[in-house]
Amino acid sequence: MKRIFTWLLKLDRRWIFLFVLFSVATPIVFPIGLPVTTTDSTRRAFEYLESLKPGDTIWLSFDYGPSSAPENDPMAEAVMRQCFLKHVKVVVLALYPLGGLGLANTAVAKVTAEFPGLRYGEDYVNLGYKDGAAAVMRRLGEDIAGAFPTDVNGTPLSRIPMMRGVHDIRNVKLVFTAATGVIGEWWITQVHSQIGTPVVIGPTAVSAPKYYAYLNAGQLVGMLSGMKGAAEYERLLRDTYPQMARFYKSTRTFTATKGMDGQTVIHTVMIAFIILGNLAFLVTRETGRPEAAA
Amino acid sequence: MNFDFGRVALVLVLAVVPIIGIALGMRAPALRSRIPILIGIFAGLIPIFSLYIPKQFLSGPTGMSPRLDQWLIILAGFALLLGIVNVVQNNSRKISRREKGWFFAAVLLIGLLVTSAFGIWGWWTKMGIGFMPDGSPTPFKWVEDRFFQPLQSTIFSLLAFFMASAAFRAFRARNTEATILLIAAGLVMAGRVPLLEFLAAPFPPLHPSASAASQFLGGLAERIMDIPNGAAQSGIIIGAALGAASMAIRVILGIERGYLGLGQGE
Repeated sequence: MKRIFTWLLKLDRRWIFLFVLFSVATPIVFPIGLPVTTTDSTRRAFEYLESLKPGDTIWLSFDYGPSSAPENDPMAEAVMRQCFLKHVKVVVLALYPLGGLGLANTAVAKVTAEFPGLRYGEDYVNLGYKDGAAAVMRRLGEDIAGAFPTDVNGTPLSRIPMMRGVHDIRNVKLVFTAATGVIGEWWITQVHSQIGTPVVIGPTAVSAPKYYAYLNAGQLVGMLSGMKGAAEYERLLRDTYPQMARFYKSTRTFTATKGMDGQTVIHTVMIAFIILGNLAFLVTRETGRPEAAA
Repeated sequence: MNFDFGRVALVLVLAVVPIIGIALGMRAPALRSRIPILIGIFAGLIPIFSLYIPKQFLSGPTGMSPRLDQWLIILAGFALLLGIVNVVQNNSRKISRREKGWFFAAVLLIGLLVTSAFGIWGWWTKMGIGFMPDGSPTPFKWVEDRFFQPLQSTIFSLLAFFMASAAFRAFRARNTEATILLIAAGLVMAGRVPLLEFLAAPFPPLHPSASAASQFLGGLAERIMDIPNGAAQSGIIIGAALGAASMAIRVILGIERGYLGLGQGE
């Protein structure tokens, strides 16, 4: 037994990499379809959006880049789908410099194509990217046109029908930020705390622990925590809207529900690695054998 | 014409005075170092005063504070430009000196120039950087979709491999603190996914109990995140905020001068 553990500790890390590759790739190729349970923070976010009336406006900020797109894309898309089903207007923008706008453009094009009746400028608008996230947020409290004089196509905001009643961020019912890094936190400190507009955040799983403090303090309406949060939101959408159940069942594009299969397998592998590594550590420590370097 | 006191005061304090100061400071290094401190003091005090003094010239829609926010957006744009200049300078030097890795510097510069050129072309032709009217991607979008996004995703996805390797080789229960961390991490990892349902998948009789246990684990993970993690995060956030506030006061009072980047003797 000791010999096996010593061999395990000296195992070339490339074998571990290969094992991880197969663990992630297998459920992508052969989906398992594991169940998704919902948490309170996601339900609160979903219910708040459900409580909005047709004609209300929400603010959807793409504050992430391609590195976290598998986690953040599904949540932004699910929120857009819910809004369009409820005839809630969506103002899209990006404050993340490393590809936020590109992802916003792709997501808007993808989701609006699923709802053929939508009209740009009346049901949704894309304001594009603006540098200086915290300063932009502060300016949104005074007037949106001060920060975004035109939309992404160069059309002045005054000529966009749905923006006529939206002078500043107080006129929107909710800010939803799909975020990686610190920009999500700024929406809470600069917009919710100082202006009062409710905020829902969709952070990556890595940065989610930080936002529990804001959630507990009542400074967030809800939170979609990483891919799990996105998968929960998709489930709530499927349970509430039959057309969404059909859509998520038939779509060939990537969804968080599909991604959760891979995440489950890799979590299992990680836990197994931790247990194995610690067993090997304990056994070889007793015999005084040197441990392989990490 | 209305006299806009807020605008005049801002231009005076943050533009006219610094320009005069720079002009005078050509021959007086001491003055040159004081002008940026003066700008820092005013830029720091105006937003604070605007929260407490409800005067139109200070906190109104066209007051000094909102105007300063707008200036900040413009300044952030210039900071981006400064970053590009810095990247070009450093990498050009690397290429000209044939330093180690100069080839990668060349790739970086080509990528920067080509992507920028496509972006500027999109602005010039009013086509933008998203999609063409027929739904096909613009050249900028094509570069972004084919190069930038896959490269960024690749770099981030490497994390899974290194984390797995670290989990096996470095995550050890060496002492009490490490053991507590390990157990908490294991519970959260297990509770965040339907792990038990996955393990019980080949054994149908175990499905109901696996589902119930998975629900329990999920609830436990959520409580760990909510209570001990939430409390610790609150402490960290409050501590960081107090640190940031004290640093802001030091900058406003001119005690902290590191941000000026002044050389010795200034």
